[in-house]
Amino acid sequence: MQVCPELPSPDFSRITVIDMKTLIKTLLLAGGIGVLTQPATLLAQQFSQLDTTFQSIGNQVCATCHGAYGQGNPVVGGPSLAGLEPWYLRSQLEKFRAGWRGAQRDYIPAYEMQATVSNISNAEIDRLVSEVTSWPEPDPEAYSEGNAAHGQQLYTTCATCHGMSAEGNEALKAPALADRDSWYLYRQLNLFKSGFRGGHPDDVTGAQMRASVQVLEDDQAVKDVVAYINSLN
Amino acid sequence: MKKLISRREMLTLLAATGASGLVLRASAALNLVPDTQLARPRIPQADPNNPPTIVVLGAGIAGLTAAYELTKAGYNCVLLEASSRVGGRCMTVRSGDLIDEVGNPQICQFDDAPHMYFNAGPARIPSSHRNLMNYCKELGVDLEVFINENKECYYQDDAMFGGKPVKNTEFTTSARGFMAEIMAKSLEKDQLDMPLDQWELETLMGVVRSFGDLSEGDMFKGSTRGGYTHGGYLDHGEAKEPLAFRELLKSGFLRNALSASEGETGPILFQPVGGMDNIAKGFARKLENRIFYNVLVSSVKLNNSGVEVIYEHGGVKYKLDADYCFNCIPSHLMAGIDNNFPSEYVAAMRYPQRGEAYKSAFQTKERFWENDDIYGGISWVNAPIRQIWYPINGIHKEKGVILSAYDFGGGMAFTKLSQEQRIEAAIQQGEKLHPDYRQQVEKGITIAWHRMNHMLGCAARWPGSRGGANAQAEEMFQTLRRPAGGRHYMIGDQVTKHSAWQESAILSAHWAIKDMLSRQPGNASMPGTPLS
Repeated sequence: MQVCPELPSPDFSRITVIDMKTLIKTLLLAGGIGVLTQPATLLAQQFSQLDTTFQSIGNQVCATCHGAYGQGNPVVGGPSLAGLEPWYLRSQLEKFRAGWRGAQRDYIPAYEMQATVSNISNAEIDRLVSEVTSWPEPDPEAYSEGNAAHGQQLYTTCATCHGMSAEGNEALKAPALADRDSWYLYRQLNLFKSGFRGGHPDDVTGAQMRASVQVLEDDQAVKDVVAYINSLN
Repeated sequence: MKKLISRREMLTLLAATGASGLVLRASAALNLVPDTQLARPRIPQADPNNPPTIVVLGAGIAGLTAAYELTKAGYNCVLLEASSRVGGRCMTVRSGDLIDEVGNPQICQFDDAPHMYFNAGPARIPSSHRNLMNYCKELGVDLEVFINENKECYYQDDAMFGGKPVKNTEFTTSARGFMAEIMAKSLEKDQLDMPLDQWELETLMGVVRSFGDLSEGDMFKGSTRGGYTHGGYLDHGEAKEPLAFRELLKSGFLRNALSASEGETGPILFQPVGGMDNIAKGFARKLENRIFYNVLVSSVKLNNSGVEVIYEHGGVKYKLDADYCFNCIPSHLMAGIDNNFPSEYVAAMRYPQRGEAYKSAFQTKERFWENDDIYGGISWVNAPIRQIWYPINGIHKEKGVILSAYDFGGGMAFTKLSQEQRIEAAIQQGEKLHPDYRQQVEKGITIAWHRMNHMLGCAARWPGSRGGANAQAEEMFQTLRRPAGGRHYMIGDQVTKHSAWQESAILSAHWAIKDMLSRQPGNASMPGTPLS
C-alpha cells in the first residue's frame, strides 16, 4: 500500500512560540524524544515501501535547492519559486518530468531538477502547485551590470508575448518576468540561446522562446534586457 | 649591546634543566616542530540556575563537537538536524540504509553483517589527528588499523604495458632502481655542485645503491623487492625481471607512486571498528535528549539578545531563541535560508565552491582480492574510478564490500550519469584490474556528494586553501569565521584551511567556542600558553 505523507504546510499563522527551556522540558515530560530520535535504519525500512521519489519531496527536498519556502538560492542554482503563476509552475514541472528540460547533463541544476521530479504523479504536481503558490513572494534580487535604457529597446520583441510590463500572458504560455531574480533571468536567457532550454523537439513553446532570444546578440544585450525587466518590478 | 640568544641556544638551556616536556612545548611555540598539543577549549562550568542557551544547526562532526563540549560544561544545548541521522558526511552505509541523493534515492542492499559496511564519507584517521583520536578514546570508539598503501595492490594505466595492471611492488622497485642507477652515474661523473669529500661521497653512494638495490657496477638488474618468478623459500629464488623504465615513464602514476605514504597518509591510519559513523554515534550517545531530527531550519535571525531560529518539524513551525548559534549547515545552503546577516557575511557564505567528490562500492560474492595476496590497500586506475580500495575488515570471511570508485577532486563525470550507468562504468573500469570483476560484484551503491540531500556538496573549496589564499579569498574566509553579531558562528571543515578532514571540523568548533568565551566580559584569553 502506498502511503503519501502530507507535504509540509507553510501556514505562517501556525508558528508556535516556545523558548528553549520549555521545549526541552515539554519533550522530556512527554517522552517525545524517542519519536524524534528514531534510528536511520528504521526510517529506511519504512522508506523502502514507499514511492521513493515522492518521499524525497515529502522530505523537503525542494527546500534544499530552492530555499525554505521557495525564496531561491543562486549559490546552488535554485530559482525562487514563490510568486510563480500556477499554470507556469505546472507546465515546467511537466516539462521536467517529460525530460524536455534538464535531460542534458551538462547543465547540472536542471539535470538535478529533472531527476528529482522524473517520477512525480499528477496528484503530486497538484499538491506542489497549491503549496508553492501559497508562499509569500520574496523581493527579487536586482542586477546592476545592464543598461536598462538599451534593454527597453530590446524588450519590444519580448513584450509581444510577455506583456509591456512583463506581467505575462497565460494564453500565449508566456510567464511573468518582472518579479524574477536577475541572476535567474540572465541564466535562462543564456540556456535558451545555447539550446539547453527549448531544444527538445517536443517543446513547442520552448522552441518559440529559443528562436526569440536570438535577437539578443551578445552578453551585454542579455544583461541590458535583464536590467530593464528588473526595473519593471 | 646585548647579544640575542639564538633559538637553539635557548632550547639547550631549557634542556639542561631536564624539562624535556617544556622543551617540546617551547619548540612548538617557536615553530620548530608542528604543534601537537590538544586544542580543547577550557570552558568554565555554566551557572546551573541560568545556563547560556545554545542552538547548534547540523549534526555533522563540528556540530556534535560543539554541542558535546558545551553540554559537558553545563550549557543548555539543542542540536537541530535536517536528516534522520547524525554525522553529516561522516556516514557509513549498511544493509537497509538510505542514501538520500536528490533524484536518486537508494536503499543499500548489502548483506546484514558487521563487516559489510561502506564508509561513504571520511574513511581514514591519521594518527596525527590528535583531537579526533582523543575523542575516539573518550567516546569509547574502538579503532583498527587502516591499510592505505599496500605493495600487493596494482597500478593500471592504458598508457603503459598495453593496459596490463602492474603490482605496486614491481612498479616502485623498478622506478627506484632506474632512478638510483641514473643518480649513481651522475655521482661517479663528479657533476655535483656541492663539494663532498671522499667519505661523504661513499656514504651517499651507499644510500643510492640501497635506495635502488643496485647490482655490481651500479646497474639496476632487478631486485627481489619486486617479487620472485619462482623459489625463494625451499629453492633458490629468482627475482622478477625489471619493468621497462620507458613504459613506466608513459604513466602519470610515476609522479605519485613513490610518495603514496607521505603527507596526510604518512602516519599510521585508523578506521573505527564497524564503521566511521561510530564516531558520530559516540557523540550522539552523550547528547541523547538534545538532538532533534527531520528538522527544516527556515530562518536564522540575529536580535539584541542572541539568535532566533525558526524551524519546521512534522508540519509545525517552531521559534527557538538562544544566546548563541553554532551553525554547520553548508554555507552554500545557509545562503538560501532566510536570515538578517550582514551583506558581507552572506557574500562570504556564497564564496567557497561546492565540493564534488564521488564514491561508490560493491558487495562482492567472494573476497577475490585475498586470493591475489591483497589484504587492504588501494589500487590505482587511470580512469574516472581512480581507485579501488580493499577492506581490511572481514578478512577471510565469505563476502566483502570494496570501494569501486573514488574521485576525490572532481566526480561530476559520475555524478551526471544515471544509477545504472554509474554501476556499469564502475564495472567496466574495474575489469581493467580484475578480469573477473563483473562476475564478482553485486549490489552496487553510489554516493555523489554534490547531490546529497541537505548537503548538495562535499568539502568546501576555497581558492588556494593549501597554497596560500588570494587576498579576496582570505578576506572572505576571515569574514565567515568571525561571529555574525557576535552571536552566530559558522563552523565545520568549511571554515578551515584544511577542509575534508574530520580533525578540521573539530578544530573549527573548538575555535568558535574559544572565540565565544574570549568575548565574554572578564574572559579575554591571556597571551601565551598556560604552564599548569
